[in-house]
Amino acid sequence: MRCRGESMGRSRVSNTFRPHFRPEGHFDRTAAHKPILVLEKVMKVFRADAPVLRGVDLTIERGEFVFVTGPSGAGKSTLLKLIYKAETVDEGRILFCGRDIARLTEDSIPHLRRNIGVVFQDFRLVPYWTVFENVAVALQVMGLSPRVIRSRVALALERVGLDGRGEEKVAVLSGGEQQRVTIARAIVPEPAVVLADEPTGNLDPVLALDILGLFEEINEGGTTVLFATHDRTLLEVSPRRLVVIDDGRCIEARAGLVGLGGVLDHGISIN
Amino acid sequence: MFERALKGLRQQLGTQMMSVATVALALFCMAAALLVLENAGAMVRRWGAPVKVTVFLAEGASLEQVDSLRRALAGLPEVEEARYVSAAEARLSLSAGGDQAVANAPVELFPATIELRLVPSAVSAARVASVALRVRRIPMVSEVETYRGFTERLRSLLAGGRAAAGVIALGVLLCVFAVVSNTVRMSLAARLREIEVLRLVGATRSYIRGPFLIEGAMLGGVGALVAVLLLGVVYLTVRGQFEVSLGTLLGLHPVFLPWSVVASLVMGGCILGALGSAAALRRGLHS
Ligand SMILES: Nc1ncnc2c1ncn2[C@@H]1O[C@H](COP(=O)(O)OP(=O)(O)OP(=O)(O)O)[C@@H](O)[C@H]1O
Ligand SMILES: [Mg+2]
Repeated sequence: MRCRGESMGRSRVSNTFRPHFRPEGHFDRTAAHKPILVLEKVMKVFRADAPVLRGVDLTIERGEFVFVTGPSGAGKSTLLKLIYKAETVDEGRILFCGRDIARLTEDSIPHLRRNIGVVFQDFRLVPYWTVFENVAVALQVMGLSPRVIRSRVALALERVGLDGRGEEKVAVLSGGEQQRVTIARAIVPEPAVVLADEPTGNLDPVLALDILGLFEEINEGGTTVLFATHDRTLLEVSPRRLVVIDDGRCIEARAGLVGLGGVLDHGISIN
Repeated sequence: MFERALKGLRQQLGTQMMSVATVALALFCMAAALLVLENAGAMVRRWGAPVKVTVFLAEGASLEQVDSLRRALAGLPEVEEARYVSAAEARLSLSAGGDQAVANAPVELFPATIELRLVPSAVSAARVASVALRVRRIPMVSEVETYRGFTERLRSLLAGGRAAAGVIALGVLLCVFAVVSNTVRMSLAARLREIEVLRLVGATRSYIRGPFLIEGAMLGGVGALVAVLLLGVVYLTVRGQFEVSLGTLLGLHPVFLPWSVVASLVMGGCILGALGSAAALRRGLHS
């Protein structure tokens, strides 16, 4: 199976995206005109008495930047996990480029993940690997040639402000630098969507703003970004679409923080 | 994939060496048992085939009678040579060691015999037995010795040895499987973060499992190779010291394991290692 990025520069990401996660190799021509992500009545229940998500409806268009917020334990991480299929929905559907990801076979899940970059609060880097290795792994699993991998990793490191740092061991980097490495790893395959689960949670406020800026740049390149955060400061500085998860449902709060009222005041701790 | 396996092996070199050593030791035991069996088998082939029959003659048979019997026996297709040994000759050969008591004993104590040398390997034990039965019926023959008891003892000894080797082999195979499986489990545990990352960025199942399977196969294969080399060294040392005496005693040259056995040991080590690794992966990769 060919990967999207092999034949494509990052500038054309948004209008030529083709979902390649079907092993058979044929793709849906209409996919490029559909919303990149549609969640329909998504339910997720870990404990029967307290369902985490109780019918989430959410549509995300190609190229959007969406904040996802909500009280701790509301299910922000769960929502993102459902999208990259680390968890499966109990009811409802998640359509990625019009395709129901619940119906992907075990073999196509890796192909779905190659189209989704994920960034975590706790980085999830391999500490004994170098910066280069940690980023390159996302291309190696697709079987690209070492030459292509070298040049694309170098490009990704440059985008996150780590050019020339490839040979350093990740364990010796600062938190902010480590987060930049994970961002490079997430964007190096030029995925359609980047999911960020509290990527600034472990960083000081100034660094947090830097990282947010990085995601905004990525979004300007055409990549859809879903950014889950607690951090009210970030929500305030960036006038993006805002989705609040509360009581198992999604509430649109398009006009920034206006009208959110109680939800933010009780639920969200301000870092 | 191979590179990634090697990288993983290097990462826990100490553990991997220990497990190769354990595998090698276990397989060494098995290979040694096989080697002993191989040589015992050669010995049984050498000694176990009926090669000699002694026909004891009744007292008072005349020389002409004896000679015509000898010629008749020599005419049998199974018999290569028939030689008459008189009582006096028997006494002489038995006292050849310098035993005065034997030399002075009355000649009547020593039975005259006809020694038959059989065509080697052309004769089955059953045919020898039937020939012996017919010869036994001739009046001037008092007894026929086919040395079957000895042959049979050797054979049953060999069968016992084979059974013991089978038990050893089973134990060794289980041990190798368990050692490799545990080692791979340990390297899995040491690389959980790596596996998590691989899954996250969309590695396929085989991409994740491949290096661990190779690791297991290499542990088993290298262990087997070390075991065979070790056995070779031991074999050469022992043979160097005992060849002369052992060779003359048994009329036999010791042999090493045939190449086919060596090759299947190493191959078997690889396969068993890969199986052990697969078992560890089945348990360890379901999270
Ligand atoms: N694998 C799981 N098994 C059982 N319960 C789970 C599992 N994953 C999440 N939960 C529960 O689901 C709820 C939502 O968890 P989630 O991590 O999605 O919250 P969150 O909104 O990301 O919270 P935070 O802001 O603190 O990260 C929590 O009550 C959690 O205990
Ligand atoms: Mg969370």
